[in-house]
Amino acid sequence: MPQNEHIELHRKRHGYRLDHHERKRKKESREVHERSHKARKMIGLKAKLYHKQRHAEKIQMKKTIKMHEQRKSKQKDDDKTPEGAVPAYLLDREGQSRAKVLSNMIKQKRKEKAGKWEVPLPKVRAQGETEVLKVIRTGKRQKKAWKRMVTKVCFVGDGFTRKPPKYERFIRPMGLRFKKAHVTHPELKATFCLPILGVKKNPSSSLYTTLGVITKGTVIEVNVSELGLVTQGGKVIWGKYAQVTNNPENDGCINAVLLV
Amino acid sequence: MALYNFKKIMVVPTAKDFIDLTLSKTQRKTPTVIHKHYQIHRIRHFYMRKVKFTQQNYHDRLSQILTDFPKLDDIHPFYADLMNVLYDKDHYKLALGQINIAKNLIDNVAKDYVRLMKYGDSLYRCKQLKRAALGRMCTILKRQKQSLEYLEQVRQHLSRLPTIDPNTRTLLLCGYPNVGKSSFINKVTRADVEVQPYAFTTKSLFVGHMDYRYLRWQVVDTPGILDHPLEERNTIEMQAITALAHLRAAVLYVMDVSEQCGHTLSQQLELFNNIRPLFANKPLIVLANKCDVKKISELSEENQKIFVDLIAEGITVIETSSLTEEGVMQVKAEACDRLLAHRVDTKMKTKKVHDVLNRLHLAVPTKRDQKERPPFIPEGALLRRKAMETNAPKRKLERDLEVELGDDYTLDLQKYWDLINPEEKQDKIPEVWEGHNIADYIDPEIMKRLEDLEREEELREKAGEYDSEEESEDEEMQEIRKLASQIREKRKLKILASKEKDTQGPRMPRTAKKVSLSVQHFSIILNPIGNTLDFRSRSLVRKRKREVSAPPTSRTRSQSASRPPRDQSGVRDAKMLKKVKTMMKSSQKEMNRQGRKGESDRHVFDVKPKHLLAGKRKSGTTSHR
Repeated sequence: MPQNEHIELHRKRHGYRLDHHERKRKKESREVHERSHKARKMIGLKAKLYHKQRHAEKIQMKKTIKMHEQRKSKQKDDDKTPEGAVPAYLLDREGQSRAKVLSNMIKQKRKEKAGKWEVPLPKVRAQGETEVLKVIRTGKRQKKAWKRMVTKVCFVGDGFTRKPPKYERFIRPMGLRFKKAHVTHPELKATFCLPILGVKKNPSSSLYTTLGVITKGTVIEVNVSELGLVTQGGKVIWGKYAQVTNNPENDGCINAVLLV
Repeated sequence: MALYNFKKIMVVPTAKDFIDLTLSKTQRKTPTVIHKHYQIHRIRHFYMRKVKFTQQNYHDRLSQILTDFPKLDDIHPFYADLMNVLYDKDHYKLALGQINIAKNLIDNVAKDYVRLMKYGDSLYRCKQLKRAALGRMCTILKRQKQSLEYLEQVRQHLSRLPTIDPNTRTLLLCGYPNVGKSSFINKVTRADVEVQPYAFTTKSLFVGHMDYRYLRWQVVDTPGILDHPLEERNTIEMQAITALAHLRAAVLYVMDVSEQCGHTLSQQLELFNNIRPLFANKPLIVLANKCDVKKISELSEENQKIFVDLIAEGITVIETSSLTEEGVMQVKAEACDRLLAHRVDTKMKTKKVHDVLNRLHLAVPTKRDQKERPPFIPEGALLRRKAMETNAPKRKLERDLEVELGDDYTLDLQKYWDLINPEEKQDKIPEVWEGHNIADYIDPEIMKRLEDLEREEELREKAGEYDSEEESEDEEMQEIRKLASQIREKRKLKILASKEKDTQGPRMPRTAKKVSLSVQHFSIILNPIGNTLDFRSRSLVRKRKREVSAPPTSRTRSQSASRPPRDQSGVRDAKMLKKVKTMMKSSQKEMNRQGRKGESDRHVFDVKPKHLLAGKRKSGTTSHR
């Protein structure tokens, strides 16, 4: 019975076929032609995927070739010039840079007074009521249309209990209630799955804020105790704001960016 | 307990291939056409089906991997330990655990997204959800890249392990590297293990099979073991230790007397003492190998003392040489006998032995008188048994003769024939004589039969069987015979007479010729009746309608020869004939194409042929939408 490395052993004892090496060489050289034939004749989705993959391969090949060629030529080395070194004809302009810094500070102070917060998504598309709330018909003859069902992802608090079904006006289905969000720290570039504490503001309408509807651009409050942030005074920060960056109802998850 | 077959584990695909496979399968096996204006439940169902299909595929394939790979707790401890040595138990279990986790995660993802899709109110939303679901499942699998690669390598190695049965009779060879274990196994079994002068030629376990006393025995060859503590042993040595620890076998410890392996006898003895605990409860034999180079008697005093000590402890030491085959058979016999005895002993000590013993009964015939009746063994069998035991040189085989003579050898089986006259052995015998096959007529007892027959004939003649018989019939019989012959004669005469009678009169023979009437003859016949025949040559005859032309009233067969054949009647010349023929053929074409018998055949066998109407319209075959 063939045991362990029987193929290598056979090769060692009996060698290769008489035409083995020639066949191998010819097969390898034929591979080029076969690949080109395949690339030309393929159609459909397969072709798209193949061409995409091949394009990426070719880019890598070109990069390596260029790298090999670079060794031969000389190029300007940017690292040699130290930071802050200014050419002679710009030596007088120091004062101006300082002025710029000051004006920036003044602008920031003005913004803070106005109460405008800097957020990653300043403008978002407004969601109309017909989009967010779906009319539910009730009654014996299905004529009454005072109930609404939320069609977007929403957040309800921990101690949430529904109003008695007969009187509840806004239905928030359980399948669309989310508790966690994937929050990215913009500087660390790391993403964490943090529990949501509440919805701070929905840019489309204050009604949505009270309902807890989360759409793109909504500012939510998340529990960041996992990150272990501490204030200068020594207190532990456990809640921070984050802004939602995707459409949760289309993706099935809430992606947000932490507002630092 | 699931039965594992290490050679039948399914190939574990790489992460990238796995993803490509499943996604392309989803695209091919689920419906692909959907429109915005379809009803929303239909749209939802369409996308939910895709998500569930992908999840099902992943789940099935991953489950198959999990069931195919053996669980280390379910297999024999020998194999469990061997796999631990080769593949690291922790890593193995972790890899399988990761696959299990991935499977569960994929299931959960599918469940969540199917639940979300129930709230999808537009095609775009459902499509995005499906895209998110499939993407998440593929990402989960992309993370398992390392585990899948590792499992594929494990599978390849596992399928090449030798199949060692841990429960059957086994002989285990162990010792330092290069002492001659692999040469021994090559001599005793048909295994073809590599033998080279450098140490650690054998890097893993090899198994060979041999027969002794009509039973099958396994011989296991191990890689050499060096003398250092257990913690410092590498993978190769650990395989040997595993085999020693788990297989209940007879242990053959091989020592190199000539010290050609590079280690002195005292070092070998050290190793022997160190691994002594592993030999507990196992029949042990020490092989003093390579004795063709140096015998024990040629050794120095201290070295000889080693062997004397071993023998004093009660361990059998046998001098062997794999090169000259000296002592190999002796070792085989000794080891097998002791192992068999050991196995029988262990079986006797278990509880199950009573079931077997109760069923065994040796029946001995009761003595009826004082006469001795020993068993009869034919002489040939006794001689052969003696030859087997002493291992005397066997009779010269044809093979040996062939090897000796080389090219001049011819196979001559006639020399083994047992004839009355041995000089006739090489006589040529014909095979066919006068059209008969001689082999059909050969009877070894033909002379005896001839003699018997002749004797019988003599006896019969003497008894008078062949004397002529007299008429022993009575008067009645003779009368009847006479009458019968008369009746027969009369009958024959009657038949002849009836043949000569002419009952039907003279008849015409059937060879009458055809009478061809000319046109003149026609007119002569028809004129007295009053019919006139238009006297024109055949080519100028006008085309008449069917109702007008009336066939003549009396016609014989011979008259039909003068009428033109149907496809030429009414046709003026060759050009017209050709046109007529093409018209006929073109009118037939359509019916032939449709396979119809004629214009009235309207039966359609297959209104909706499946091969034209089923299947998807793929991009290669459709140029329109």
